[in-house]
Amino acid sequence: MLEGKFDEASLLKKIVDSIKDSVKMCNINCTEHGLTVQAVDDSRVLLVSLLVGQSAFTEYRCDRDITLGIELDSFGKILRCGNNEDYLTLLAEDKPDSVMAIFEDKKKERVSEYSLKLMDIDSEFLNIDDMDYDAVITMPSTEFGKTVKDLKNLSESLNIVVTKDSVKLSSEGESGSGSVVLKPYSDIDHPEETISINLDNPVDLTFGLKYLGDIIKATSLSSSITIKLADKTPALFEYKLDAGGYLRFYLAPKFDEDE
Amino acid sequence: MAQQQSIGRFFSANGTTAQKLESKPASSNAAKRSLTPSLDSSPKRRETVAPTDDTDPTSEEDRPTEPQMSTKEEVEKLIELGEVEHAHHKNEKLMATPSSSKLPYSKLTSVFEEIEAESGRLKMISIISEFYLEVLQQSTVDKLVKIVYLSINRLGPDYEPDLELGLGETLLIKAISECYGRASSKIKQDYKTFGDLGLVAQQSRSGQPTMFKPTPLDVDLVFDSLTKIAKSTGKDSQMKKVGLINKLLTACERKTTEAKFLIRSLEGKLRIGLAEKTVLIGLAQAFTNYENHAMTPENITKAEDIIRESFSLIPNYEIIIKTAYEHGIFNLLDHIHLTPGIPLKPMLAKPTKSISEVLDRFQGEEFTCEYKYDGERAQVHLLSDGSVRIYSRNSEDMSQRYPDLIAIIKDFIKVQEDSDGTPIKSLILDCEAVAWDRQLNKILPFQVLSTRKRKDVNEKDIKVHICLFAFDILYLNGESVVNKTLAERRELMYENLKPIEGKFCFATSRNSSNLDELQIFLDQSVKDSCEGLMVKMLNSKESYYEPSKRSRNWLKLKKDYLAGVGDSLDLVVVGAYNGRGKRTGNYGGFLLASYNDDTGEFETTCKIGTGFSDEDLTSLYNSLHPTEISQPKGSYVYDPSAVPDVWFEPTTLFEVLTADLSLSPIYKAGHQEFTKGISLRFPRFLRIREDKGVEDATTSEQVIEFYSKQASVQS
Repeated sequence: MLEGKFDEASLLKKIVDSIKDSVKMCNINCTEHGLTVQAVDDSRVLLVSLLVGQSAFTEYRCDRDITLGIELDSFGKILRCGNNEDYLTLLAEDKPDSVMAIFEDKKKERVSEYSLKLMDIDSEFLNIDDMDYDAVITMPSTEFGKTVKDLKNLSESLNIVVTKDSVKLSSEGESGSGSVVLKPYSDIDHPEETISINLDNPVDLTFGLKYLGDIIKATSLSSSITIKLADKTPALFEYKLDAGGYLRFYLAPKFDEDE
Repeated sequence: MAQQQSIGRFFSANGTTAQKLESKPASSNAAKRSLTPSLDSSPKRRETVAPTDDTDPTSEEDRPTEPQMSTKEEVEKLIELGEVEHAHHKNEKLMATPSSSKLPYSKLTSVFEEIEAESGRLKMISIISEFYLEVLQQSTVDKLVKIVYLSINRLGPDYEPDLELGLGETLLIKAISECYGRASSKIKQDYKTFGDLGLVAQQSRSGQPTMFKPTPLDVDLVFDSLTKIAKSTGKDSQMKKVGLINKLLTACERKTTEAKFLIRSLEGKLRIGLAEKTVLIGLAQAFTNYENHAMTPENITKAEDIIRESFSLIPNYEIIIKTAYEHGIFNLLDHIHLTPGIPLKPMLAKPTKSISEVLDRFQGEEFTCEYKYDGERAQVHLLSDGSVRIYSRNSEDMSQRYPDLIAIIKDFIKVQEDSDGTPIKSLILDCEAVAWDRQLNKILPFQVLSTRKRKDVNEKDIKVHICLFAFDILYLNGESVVNKTLAERRELMYENLKPIEGKFCFATSRNSSNLDELQIFLDQSVKDSCEGLMVKMLNSKESYYEPSKRSRNWLKLKKDYLAGVGDSLDLVVVGAYNGRGKRTGNYGGFLLASYNDDTGEFETTCKIGTGFSDEDLTSLYNSLHPTEISQPKGSYVYDPSAVPDVWFEPTTLFEVLTADLSLSPIYKAGHQEFTKGISLRFPRFLRIREDKGVEDATTSEQVIEFYSKQASVQS
């Protein structure tokens, strides 16, 4: 049996909104450590990996592993029924055919209950290995989000070049081109503004902006984003959850035909 | 090349250790067959190979009854090429793994790729037959059937309805955009540049690798999904189609050509130039080899003849292939029987242009003349369960379009039963369906027939009535009669069937060998609103019904022939010129092309601007404007100095008359034969051929034949 209570319903709402455009259906795996999701988008280019740790819940109990096959669009609609500040409790039986979402208003004694039918979703077990990256960049998530949005208007790909002390994001399109260069920056008063670059080897990679556009939908989850890059390897885009856990996107870089 | 690594390996589905992708030169996959030019070792004699018999009137004289498909030289060359091809693929493993029953789709598409790059017909045959052979040896006969259908971009026999793909561009562009992560607008842009959506899909796929390798596509999955796509109708069909398409597209491997050919198949335009003829020869060769017969020219030619004849009786690859597999290729004809419910390919007539030419041909022979009715060819089938089917010249099921004909046939079958004649259990008739004025009891011109609706015809609403003129019987009460003489067949028809005035008649005929009588009969036919006469051999073996053949035992003599080239030509509209003056706002002229059924290409042959009424031009503009394309198709052969203002998708055929034919530096019909192409002089528009598909256009081969005949007449 699963019973997980969030202090604020907004967290789960934001998470579902961040991934529902890339992944229409997914299995949420519930274990004693928390909730995890691993899913690829329909075109199998973008991988979503989510961990909502036990610590993100005010109360959490899951005696036996449970899989919840969820259609995210419908789930998102249900989550929108509660207020952001409500307590949200997820409830499911051991072999569930539905999951309950219970919203409790913190002041008034209003309780609303919704249930969502579960689906049987085939999913292969996808093993993701830890690995060494050539470059690790941390920057404000809003800054990255804005850059992606801006350059998406120009082109369908984004080039990321990382050198010792700078990151250059650039796009070239029919109508014109654009680039943004970032340098390391630290501000003790505003740590969330920090830009850091750790570099072992220079990197030059290109990504489909359609997918980056999907990734930045998670901007509201965290004030900063960490991007890990290595040559000819899927890049990792990570939003850390303050409450414990993360939402990671793995994106395969584009290949240039002429090379 | 170095980057042809799949990123999928980095994340493995079964959890191997982290492995960073290094560029690895020439992986084992690089030895893919499509990349290997396999002709290197064989001498390049392709260009000197003689053309097929049909194109060569002199060699046809040597073998008057049976024009063969390939000359001896050709067959020898073919065997040689076959051996080269075979040696190349000695260790080719088709199946995904030795124990797997799955045949990867990529194997098929790499064969397509190889064929597309090849322009020589013989080489194409040897490639395809080698592949068919491998399928026979390493896979199952069911797979071979599917592969054959996929290679001619069909999903079943022509006579089976609802197996057309031909999905719209918009739908496919959307699918490519979703599956390969690119904006639709960019894909449209690329499509404009390359003119081939398949290529655009391929490039889009190559640019964006996937994270996890999807289950690879195999031939069964692709064939079955395509069939589902073609058959899905109703309110959710669009969604279902998109779902199926997306599933296929995402599963395309980026290192293969799967995406390219999958999209082309979905579009209904495979464009690899694999004509039906080529496929049949390929099968003949593959079976001969598979059954370990000696690969001699005699055996190959025999196998070719057998398979071709079988196919013209039963144009169904599944039946032909499975029967050949079960009983052996050389026993095929013993097991292939004419079957009501399966349309055989109709026998065709050769055009002539004077009565004396007819008399020359039939000198000393008994022959007969029939009216040539100006309507639509209709093959009527009565099945033993009592159901009736009508098939067009192209073996398409026309039963929906002519519900009134079905009623007529049922009527007349009842008449047979009511009178004391033998009841008819099963039947195949060759007829012409003609528009009929029931008040005045006379034939109406074809133009009237063509005003009938083509879809959703409700019997009550029919205004243009039809009379069926039967001129031949091919099957009666469980027995094929094609191998009886025409005299015997007519006898059978007259004995067993009773005409019904104004609904079902026999073609008016006369047996005569007198020139004057013939002339009178021809004039009479024209007075009776017919196109002219059909002149046919009446007795002896030569009068047997020869399915699919354009035989010299049937000659057609049209009233318009008496001046000009003879027959009209049915040419494909490939482009148009903007109208000026009175024609401003419409097209003022059109660029026409003949169809080269060896290469699958359309070869330009003339510009036409006469014979159109203002209404014609307006309705042509309305129907052709939506088919405009920004780039000529890859299959159009044209001279850069004769480029029209707009290009079209090949959809429409014009029937045209011409004063004569001449060689021209800027047109391309038959250019492989004469370096220069053949062009029509003073072409004149007659009508649109709605009953024919673009691949039934007058072939370049026929144009060459017309030209050669004319040349010999003049000299």
